[in-house]
Amino acid sequence: MKLKQGSFLWYLYLDKLYCLLSVRNVKALVEYFHLLDVHRKKTLNDVLFYHFLHHVTDLKRNQITIVFNMLDWNAVGEIGFDQFYMLVCILLAQENHLEEQFIFRHSRPVFELLDLDGELKIGPSNFHMYNFLFKIKKQQLRDLYHDFDITGDCRLNYKEFKLFTIFSMNKYQESQKAVKEEKAVPKRRKCHKL
Amino acid sequence: MEEKPFKALAKSSGHRGSGKSSPHDIRNLWTTATQSQPKLNVALPTVREDSELEGSSVGGKTRWSYNQGRESDDGEDKDSFKPEELDEHALMELEMRRGSSLGGSLEEDDSKTDDENASSVSSLSISKHTPHRAYWVEQQSRLPLPLTELMENEALEILTKALRSYRSEIGRDHFLTKQLQRYIEGLKRRRNKRLQVMVI
Repeated sequence: MKLKQGSFLWYLYLDKLYCLLSVRNVKALVEYFHLLDVHRKKTLNDVLFYHFLHHVTDLKRNQITIVFNMLDWNAVGEIGFDQFYMLVCILLAQENHLEEQFIFRHSRPVFELLDLDGELKIGPSNFHMYNFLFKIKKQQLRDLYHDFDITGDCRLNYKEFKLFTIFSMNKYQESQKAVKEEKAVPKRRKCHKL
Repeated sequence: MEEKPFKALAKSSGHRGSGKSSPHDIRNLWTTATQSQPKLNVALPTVREDSELEGSSVGGKTRWSYNQGRESDDGEDKDSFKPEELDEHALMELEMRRGSSLGGSLEEDDSKTDDENASSVSSLSISKHTPHRAYWVEQQSRLPLPLTELMENEALEILTKALRSYRSEIGRDHFLTKQLQRYIEGLKRRRNKRLQVMVI
């Protein structure tokens, strides 16, 4: 998934630590939502939502429908600002390669989004369905169920999912450290030569 | 209001007794007129009509009470008309006050040349701050114009496509289609008005 360059969302950014929008960005987003709220119901219906997502991303029709059904957690056929804000944070997290951090920071809401049936457990099918949003790789999924399915029912409850997010966050931070060290090594070599 | 400049002009020509041609005096008047602009206590005309509609304060409180306080009505026509009226009213007030301050400053300047210089310097320094004040107010409570423009243009594109879907799926005569159509027209009118103001 990619955001359309030059679109309004493209100019927003997440705080890298908490993976949330700043106050100023939220204010702008509220104005934007208000512009799209044509019928003055403080919501977007499925048609408006489809055209919005189709305009600002490269998601396909079926993917947009999946996202809409995921966010319409009250099953009213409309998306309010809370859900809209959540979606924007997810899109920006993906755009800025902050998926691991986002899932770590907001594990509860993400779990509830993935738990479409409300069974308080999520299976591999849930992850596959939303893979285009959360980008959990196949190997990660295998590790997930191998290492964290403590109950052994091939499904994760929230605690198991939380453990997974902590683990993947640690892994992500270690990989970032390694990348930084690799970049620092050539500089040191240059300094020694001088 | 129109009489004051002419009275001031008569006084100045009488006082100085220079017998010089009036265009020189008129040029001076226009110079002092522009410097006298800062004598304004009127609220600045709004850029974001929506905030006016919701009766929000300059601090933009309704932005935080988005989920609570806003009345839902289908008056997008109302939405587009009210801010225009407000803008015109505010602009008229600005013009009137400029005129009165122009007359006032002219009468002051005619008394002494030293006072004239002092007042022109002070009004010049004030006039330097006036755009800053407007900028500050906008920064505190409103979104920057380029961002607003970007948002409105994008919203227009999205809603125009949505209108096509509405027409094909629920028909042209459905009230939701008509509502969307009116909203788009209102948005276009607002955008064109803003573009005209910027060109001026």
